[in-house]
Amino acid sequence: MKRLQDVKAQDTQDLYYPTMCKVTQTKQITEMEKWYELELPAGQDLGHEPGQFVEVSAFGIGEAPISISSSPSKLGKFELCIRQVGTLTNVLKRYEEGDLIGIRGPFGKGYPIEKFLGKDILIVAGGIGLVPLRSLINYVLDNRQDFRRLIILYGAKTPSDLLFKDEIDAWQARDDVEVHVTVDQGDENWTGNTGVITTLIPGLDLDLSMTIAAITGPPIMYKFVVMSLKSKQLQDDNIYLSLERRMKCGVGKCGHCQINGVYCCQDGPVFNYTDIKSLEEAL
Amino acid sequence: MECFSLLRTDIPALIDHLGGFGEVIAPHGKGDVSYSFEVVKDSREVVLDYNRTLLPLKKLFLPPVEKLMDFSLKDMSFTPIELKIEPKVFFAVHSYEMQSILRLDHSMLSGNAESNYFKRRKNSRFVGISFNPDEYHFSDSVGIPIEEMEGFDLYLNEIDENYQLYVLTENGRSLIQGLKNIKTVEPELANDRKFKKKIRYHYNRLPRVFQYAYNSKVWADVASRCVGCGACTLVCPTCFCFDVNDEVTVTAEDGIRQRSWDSCMLTTFAEVAGGENFREKAINRTRHRLYRKFKYITDEEGLPWCIGCGRCTAFCPADISLPDIVNELIQEDEKAQYHQTIRV
Repeated sequence: MKRLQDVKAQDTQDLYYPTMCKVTQTKQITEMEKWYELELPAGQDLGHEPGQFVEVSAFGIGEAPISISSSPSKLGKFELCIRQVGTLTNVLKRYEEGDLIGIRGPFGKGYPIEKFLGKDILIVAGGIGLVPLRSLINYVLDNRQDFRRLIILYGAKTPSDLLFKDEIDAWQARDDVEVHVTVDQGDENWTGNTGVITTLIPGLDLDLSMTIAAITGPPIMYKFVVMSLKSKQLQDDNIYLSLERRMKCGVGKCGHCQINGVYCCQDGPVFNYTDIKSLEEAL
Repeated sequence: MECFSLLRTDIPALIDHLGGFGEVIAPHGKGDVSYSFEVVKDSREVVLDYNRTLLPLKKLFLPPVEKLMDFSLKDMSFTPIELKIEPKVFFAVHSYEMQSILRLDHSMLSGNAESNYFKRRKNSRFVGISFNPDEYHFSDSVGIPIEEMEGFDLYLNEIDENYQLYVLTENGRSLIQGLKNIKTVEPELANDRKFKKKIRYHYNRLPRVFQYAYNSKVWADVASRCVGCGACTLVCPTCFCFDVNDEVTVTAEDGIRQRSWDSCMLTTFAEVAGGENFREKAINRTRHRLYRKFKYITDEEGLPWCIGCGRCTAFCPADISLPDIVNELIQEDEKAQYHQTIRV
């Protein structure tokens, strides 16, 4: 147990003060999602791992945990992509180039890149699950020689909900990336796959001993994606997922993100499937 | 251990003397049946015989509402808060209350250590006092005897209406330096104060009970009676969860960010934007509260995070009793083991 006498003043921190970042670019990429590029003071690097998050602050409203969408290999600036779904995110919608956004972090555990090196990387992204996974995808692309296959499965509700369309096109144009996109419901112009994301899994040709999967999507998606991957005989410890929870502090204090005894903000948001499969209330 | 004898009538003089170190915080009567830790203005008003204060001492280390910063919406900037903490003496504190502070120390200072909590906690001195358990106290069931003195600098043990004062630390010794009318005596630790409420198992057996209690029927029964007010967590001395929110002034030019106590027993505690709620049912929330006290942290630290003060039970508007829940889980566990034995 940690005792007061073991703690020195210099070991303690002001945990709740944000760092003000300048918005350098924005783009409303769908009706619901806006992309932001931000710059830390003096052009510092954020120094994050793919899969980590920041607490985003809008004075007058509060804070919310938001995934970092850019790769750590992008220096000087970082990117967020935010769905307008709550009070804070609807206010952030009004922020434009030149405005200041407060951030704290990066927080939590991201994808353990060392375990991904030299492996086939299978990305399974549902909806805005692509936002944090894009950090991992771009990291892999920026260090392409360190990884084997890169397979990206991406599912959205409709074609107009697809995020980062230009980038997906660019990934599809490369011969060292395998991209499979599906929508739950197509429109008259849609010629691609239709159906939920799990429909993309049975047709995959995977090298089981070499494949590591990273899954992010809405809570309902995990059970089914994990089930399909297991039916392809993928081992539990080769599956990583990123979980969403309410978080107020990001530093393991406020209690909101607890999943049983686990703090999602500290022990996650990225978890190995073996660590959470028997954790009640996790999936 | 140094020990002095004090008459009950000497206590106000002791409190006044402690005031030489700093502000003294002690239990005061509030209305007819309630008690509260307040700053001592008149040492004769301090109540020595109290069962429990409504709010625990955590209110002074983790205030119910705490300003984190001032901000300006005009230029999107903020001003940090300068915390000035004066030395304080916490007087007439029960052993379980002291133990709750030691647990809060762990919660707030392990991992990312919080500076505000640390500053409030430094330069504080604690004077314990014995108490007579009422129908709600069960602290010895969670390993905290009435005379547990860990954390205290001084301890007052009531013996036949008067007190023995034990000096426990160097800080304690300097607190009473120059105090008159005290005479050295032999300590009399023994007493016959008995607990009325008990958890049936020794606390080191509880993690095992909780290991198998996750799907117990007890949770649904408790949840069906719970009104979801969150009082149990607000009065719990080891509950520390909080919310952070901003308040804007009427001019809409500036405001404050503050944190306030929150409760995992409230419906929206685990709800995210978009409506997904990860502990949607009362049954999940009830279970979570108990597991936070007896399993999750306990597995790591080896101690129950419930300190047996009885507040959650005494102040529950639905008469839900925490020790009764634990005893029901024990009974259910015994039944299950009995049936298993028969089957074998």
